Amino acid sequence: MRPLTTFAALLGTLALTGCAGGSGEAPAADVTAKPEFSGTLSILTKFAGDPLSPYFEKLAAAYEKKHPGVKIELIQETDQSIKDKSKTLTASDALPDIYFTWTGNWAENYVRGGRAADLTKVIGPDTEWGKTFSKASLSAFAYDGRYYGIPLYNNGKFMGYNKAAFTKAGVKPPTTFEELISSCATLRKAGYEPIAFGNKDGWPALHYLQQLFAYNVPSATLRADFHPSTAKLADPGYVTALKQFKTLVDTCTDTGSGTNGVLYTSAQEAFSNGKAAMYYQEILEFDSATAGRGITPEDFGIFPLPVPAGAAGNPKVIEGAPEGYLVNAKSPRAALAVDFMKFVTEQENAKTLSSPPYGQPSTVVGAVTPETSSKAVFEGIELVNKAPELASWLDMVTVPEVADAWLAGGEALISGGKKPEQVLESVRQASESAK
Amino acid sequence: MRAIVQRTLGLAWVVPALVLVGVFVYLPLVQNIGFSTLKWDIYSGDQEYVGLDNYTKLLDDPIFWSSFGNNLLYAVISIVFQVFGALLLAALIESIRSDRWRRSLRAIYFIPSAISLTVAGLLFYFMYEPNLGPLNHAFQAVGLGLFDQSWLGQESTAMYAIIGMSQWQGFGYSTLLFAVAIQRIPSELYGAAAIDGTGPIRRFIHVTVPLVREMTGLMTMVTISGAFQVFNEVMVMTSGGPNNSTQVMGTWLYRSGFVRNNFGYAAAIATLIFVITLGIAMAQLWVTRRRRVEW
Repeated sequence: MRPLTTFAALLGTLALTGCAGGSGEAPAADVTAKPEFSGTLSILTKFAGDPLSPYFEKLAAAYEKKHPGVKIELIQETDQSIKDKSKTLTASDALPDIYFTWTGNWAENYVRGGRAADLTKVIGPDTEWGKTFSKASLSAFAYDGRYYGIPLYNNGKFMGYNKAAFTKAGVKPPTTFEELISSCATLRKAGYEPIAFGNKDGWPALHYLQQLFAYNVPSATLRADFHPSTAKLADPGYVTALKQFKTLVDTCTDTGSGTNGVLYTSAQEAFSNGKAAMYYQEILEFDSATAGRGITPEDFGIFPLPVPAGAAGNPKVIEGAPEGYLVNAKSPRAALAVDFMKFVTEQENAKTLSSPPYGQPSTVVGAVTPETSSKAVFEGIELVNKAPELASWLDMVTVPEVADAWLAGGEALISGGKKPEQVLESVRQASESAK
Repeated sequence: MRAIVQRTLGLAWVVPALVLVGVFVYLPLVQNIGFSTLKWDIYSGDQEYVGLDNYTKLLDDPIFWSSFGNNLLYAVISIVFQVFGALLLAALIESIRSDRWRRSLRAIYFIPSAISLTVAGLLFYFMYEPNLGPLNHAFQAVGLGLFDQSWLGQESTAMYAIIGMSQWQGFGYSTLLFAVAIQRIPSELYGAAAIDGTGPIRRFIHVTVPLVREMTGLMTMVTISGAFQVFNEVMVMTSGGPNNSTQVMGTWLYRSGFVRNNFGYAAAIATLIFVITLGIAMAQLWVTRRRRVEW
């Protein structure tokens, strides 16, 4: 592949389609209008591959059956590929009618650029549809008091552990970070890799770091530091958290400084095959973690990453955020898009989403119950709902340049290429440059 | 009159191709230069003219320079293996008397080149995997467990691991091309050298090397040019990590645009890659013109 030719061709195509000059020409979408049930509705999802892809496929078929004049065009991408796809579609002004979004800076960019329809009138907390969602999940997509996102499912990060391995090693779920570290030697003696960890893509390290930052850095400081205009990144809690992370990697993983060469999915398999005792994972992964032969749903337990002793931040924060969808502000079928998303988030469909094999805990109130979801998913979502504050993903909550510096810093910390102080300094420089 | 009509008709046949090449190759290249002078927000569509700021920033960007260094390293190692190493191997293969063995060896060495770089990258990713990869297991099996590495996970080894894969993939192709060039050398020249009492090494130095210099020059330029366009193998194996240690100009361009949302800066990197590869292409034309071998 020739990167210049490809890059130039992309830019050229954008110019040829006459789209590079701005996005403000089309009239704003009227999301309150009565939908016209005809035409093609395009949707960009993050549900490619098994077991998730059938979810939207089945819903699309059901909606088409209900409204024969409507055709649903699904563009299903993976967690990794959707990042490039979204940006390419954005740059070429070819966003579909409905498209996936994370919270934080990711969604904010679409709102700021006028590409996300203002849904306040249809999904605001006081509207009929809005009342079906948890308030926190709606607020995650609110900017300047306006509501833009349709939250589909909630998510949080927890340490999943193999109860049978813990019993065999005579270890109890740790209650402090220090206990977690000291349990690793015992688990290793019992024949397990204490924590499976793969950081080939860089972002898994950021999940550990963001949770440790939330524990070690006061929330107000952390929030200010996410924005380059107010960032100082001077709190000593950052270096403390970076050191804690390095200790965890060196003590509790078998790959240690070579963890950057291991795929996230390889680590996931090591846990689900029963070779590793723990694996830090999202609620969305719980049901697939127990789909293998190594660990049964009964043997699968979770706990939040334990809080380090004397941490100066908020010990009750859980890392996580809902994920959802935006409606294209320039879509001529915005009202139909809203109607389809109302259908997607109906109680019955929300329960299906929360159940195995999908295991995506819906943000619709009452959809996640011990009956509809696996025990672990229900337990995880309860903990997320009870948390006084959620810490959003580090690579989504701040601007890309700073997120990228954290990403490289996390890798350097693992490999030993940089010390915690040097990592923080490189992030400071990136933040300064992004002002 | 007929000649003019025929010439006009000929041109008419070429025009569609010219238009397509112009629109899809040259126009984007020119536009890319224009984009490199902009700060472009893809979300709002706002474009701000910043002159040469992106180029100034490029000069102060340590990751760009380390990327450039990696491209150079790639070029140097590739020349050693894919030009000089391949020439040596081709000479060895062509010196084998058995026609069947010659053909078999050519095929054996060429097979890796038939595998796409993306597939080869994935294959080697698993070869290098620290827990399950056969490379570490092989070291352990022969009592060299000391050399166990997370080959792609360590900043000190990752770039060499990628380059190693690339040599494996491209070596056979170069060997085949040199083999073809050696076959074109008249056998009388080798016969005359043998009558003069020269051994195989001197025959290689004084007959083979000078008479394949056209191919050597071409392969050197193609290899250097390829080294500055590296992208796939790095993306598949490390995405430029860990800690940007395997970034090459192509992947840094991609990361600047598609990850860091800095499309103007990415366009500036693209322009620089274009200038470098254009320079190499011009040199290639010059070298091949000067080094034509005739007998």
